[in-house]
Amino acid sequence: MAVIEILGRDERTERQFRLGHLLTVALIVVGLLYGLNLRDGAIFATQPYNNVRAGISMDYPVAWLLDTDGDYVVRLRDMRRIGYKTTIQITLAPAGGSASNRNILDVVNISRPLRLNSYDVQAIEPYTMPDGTAATRMTYTFVDDEPNKFLQTVPVVVIGWDVLVRRGEQALIVTFRSDANTFDADLVFFERLLSSLEF
Amino acid sequence: MLYRWIMLLALAVGLTLDARAQQADELFDLARIQRATVFVMQTRTVGNNAIITCVGSGTLVSRDGLILTNAHNTVPNPDCPGDQLVIALTIRPGEPPITTYYAEVAQANEGLDLAILRITQDLSGRIIEPDTLSLPFVDVADSGQIDLDDTIAVIGYPGLGDEDAITVISGTVTGFVSEPSGGDRSWIKTDATIPGTMSGGGVYNLEGQLVAVPTTVPIIPSAADVTCPIIQDTNNDGLINRADSCVPLGAFINALRPARFIRPLLRGASLGLQVEKISQRAATTAASGSPEFSNLFFSPSITNGMPTTAAANLPTGTTSLYLFFDYRNMTPNTIYELRVTINDRPSRTFSLAPVRWSGGRDGLWYIGSSGQVWPNGIYEFTLFLDGIASGTARINIGAQPGEPPPSFSNISFGILDERSGSLFGLNNVLPAGAVANARFIHRNMVDGTPWTACWYYQNAPLACEENVWSPDGSDTRALSITNEEPGLPLEPGPYRLALFINNRLSTLSEFTIAGAQEGAFPLVFDNTRFVSTTRPAEVPTASAASTFSSGRMELYSTFDWELLEPGTLWTMRWLVDGTRFFEETVPWSNSRTGQGFITRLSSASGSLPDGRYTMEIIVNNVVLAEAEAAIGVGQLPIDPFAVTEGVQLNGWVIDADTGEGLAGVSVIFISDEFFVSSFVWNNDQVHVIATSDSNGYFQLDRLLEFDTRYSVLINARGYLPIASDVVRVNAETDNPLEIIIPLTRG
Repeated sequence: MAVIEILGRDERTERQFRLGHLLTVALIVVGLLYGLNLRDGAIFATQPYNNVRAGISMDYPVAWLLDTDGDYVVRLRDMRRIGYKTTIQITLAPAGGSASNRNILDVVNISRPLRLNSYDVQAIEPYTMPDGTAATRMTYTFVDDEPNKFLQTVPVVVIGWDVLVRRGEQALIVTFRSDANTFDADLVFFERLLSSLEF
Repeated sequence: MLYRWIMLLALAVGLTLDARAQQADELFDLARIQRATVFVMQTRTVGNNAIITCVGSGTLVSRDGLILTNAHNTVPNPDCPGDQLVIALTIRPGEPPITTYYAEVAQANEGLDLAILRITQDLSGRIIEPDTLSLPFVDVADSGQIDLDDTIAVIGYPGLGDEDAITVISGTVTGFVSEPSGGDRSWIKTDATIPGTMSGGGVYNLEGQLVAVPTTVPIIPSAADVTCPIIQDTNNDGLINRADSCVPLGAFINALRPARFIRPLLRGASLGLQVEKISQRAATTAASGSPEFSNLFFSPSITNGMPTTAAANLPTGTTSLYLFFDYRNMTPNTIYELRVTINDRPSRTFSLAPVRWSGGRDGLWYIGSSGQVWPNGIYEFTLFLDGIASGTARINIGAQPGEPPPSFSNISFGILDERSGSLFGLNNVLPAGAVANARFIHRNMVDGTPWTACWYYQNAPLACEENVWSPDGSDTRALSITNEEPGLPLEPGPYRLALFINNRLSTLSEFTIAGAQEGAFPLVFDNTRFVSTTRPAEVPTASAASTFSSGRMELYSTFDWELLEPGTLWTMRWLVDGTRFFEETVPWSNSRTGQGFITRLSSASGSLPDGRYTMEIIVNNVVLAEAEAAIGVGQLPIDPFAVTEGVQLNGWVIDADTGEGLAGVSVIFISDEFFVSSFVWNNDQVHVIATSDSNGYFQLDRLLEFDTRYSVLINARGYLPIASDVVRVNAETDNPLEIIIPLTRG
């Protein structure tokens, strides 16, 4: 049979334990913060894009595929995403002085249903760019279908935003499209890009 | 010892043949060809229903949706009065095709019965941008490399039924058919038995290249039968019965239209080029009466498209034979057919299944072949017009040789040089001078034999002179014709000289008089040039130009003409970078003499592509004028996707733990100039991107070229990335190549 004698508390040892605990917790918190920072840095890392001819510069996410060969100034796609590739696209359209934003979007809306499946405009409303510039935002949906009919692909419902800003005799349309299931999560990429956009 | 050597030799030969067969198998990508073969339906909307009016097979010949097929079942005509073209694809081999797209006619030649369709919409009516399509397609080969006894494969759809999936029929080349519209190889003949619905499909060589199009035109029977089944309630009376229209399928095909006729149409369609003769007055091309054939006779050979001599018997070993005849009131919708019997037994080799008429309205035609032995026998050639017999001629080949008969042959035309006694000029086209001369060869003519020379102008007799032969020691004899009115030149237009011996036709030939006389040559077209202006009204007076900047929307050309009789057949031909993309032969419909004939070249896709453009003007196969202009760098841009040699890569992306297919994963092939480490996510660095479907299956839209290094990157969020810089394929690689890519969660 063992006898345990409880003596008075050793204040020094207790302080050391407490300090050790605090340091451990602090280290974990710092580690977590550092990890989160690294993660954010990796996910939201950007690289610059400049187009002198179009007068556009911005920072876009690293490892998004940059494409300038279409009828747009630039198109960026997140090729690492599984499923519909989240897309940001910038288009310049000539716009007469007397043309309203609605006129420009009407023209867009007339031709889009011929190219996008089940195209449906949800809303057209005022929008303020991060730098305070007044703009118009159109929200729409469509069903993305694989053009290669030899593949069996389930169509994806896509939500799109067109943010239209006027620049003299031009209209700048910044388009954001994402799978409806991941739209809110992906929106941060678009907002960060808009924040860095100069035109 | 000898036995051993024979065995070794046999083994060596066997191995060589086996190696060749294996090589051919590797080159013949049947899966790709099957996927590129489509079913074409012409439909007509009645009420809310689409009625199938005509059907046929077709073949994708470009990744952006150009389809090669026949014109008779796609271009609207009285027998195929549809207003829409529906394209069905074979998604999985062995299954019937699935309707997928709408298409429109991009280019067509109704006489040659060829058409290039362009996919325009999906079935929901959505417009399809050609750039977004990445369809499997086949390479159109040089049909001139096809020879007798070559093995071919015919691929198409044999019928309308549920079990009628794509069919491959093997056969050999048994001969060639000559016609004025295409020369010696206007048709390729085969021993393969090809159902009528495979018309418009593809004929392939052992390398898997398309060398011809099986072609026949169904003759709609008076009552529906197996060649024209009734499948729908076309009159909306709620019943499917004999009151409904049938879908013409046609009988069996034995003629293949060679690939060389396809190239101009394909080039014009792929570039979207359109030629418009602004100054051409509307010509009366409609037939004024029923089509008919007359004056059938045989010739053992041809010179400049004309018979050398008429023959009733030919010796054993004859290797060429042509049936000549006059035609009247023909249109591209007229269906003609030749049935040949040898000693009263039908001959598939020398017969021609019903096909479209590829000549003009009136004129002289021939059909025959050379370069193959015609077996001995009594041949009977019967011509059919729209299924009705319209003329018969017989010839005996291998008859007992007797006394050689007197004959005339090889008529040539020109302007006689009095001093040398020679004929000068272009033979088939003479200037409008006071006299036209002819010379012909005579054989076995006996003193005192009656013979006649008859001149015709615009198919009407002009002058006939009856003579009695008197030898002059020469092998040739000359004739001439002058205007009845002394001092006046001969009227411009088409002429014919026919020579008879004892009132039997011995030979004939035709020529055209056009243009002012410049020595022995005609000056028909002058000031042929491209002009700098873009306004049609300014074209006749605009200055000539030969170089233009890129991005030009239209290009105008002009020429003056002199003494060209209305009704004379003339041809306008356009080439870009030496490749023909437009050719049209029509009767001249303007005045005899005039200035400023304007032609406009434009592109359906907007600006004209950079390139070197040539316009040629032709009469009687003689190029009488041409002009050339360069746009931009003077060379067509290279289409990196227009490659059919390489490996088709398909595969599955799967989860390494579960083995299930991963949908929506991108497989990126980086072009050979870059590595994964130097890939900065720029589309210009990408060779091709494929995305996996709901089963994890993916297909590359672009072939991997042989002996080229590619880098591959598969980077899917939630999985460890896969990268490689050493992907390389060669001619020995399995084709199509199928791979499995497992991704590990990370």
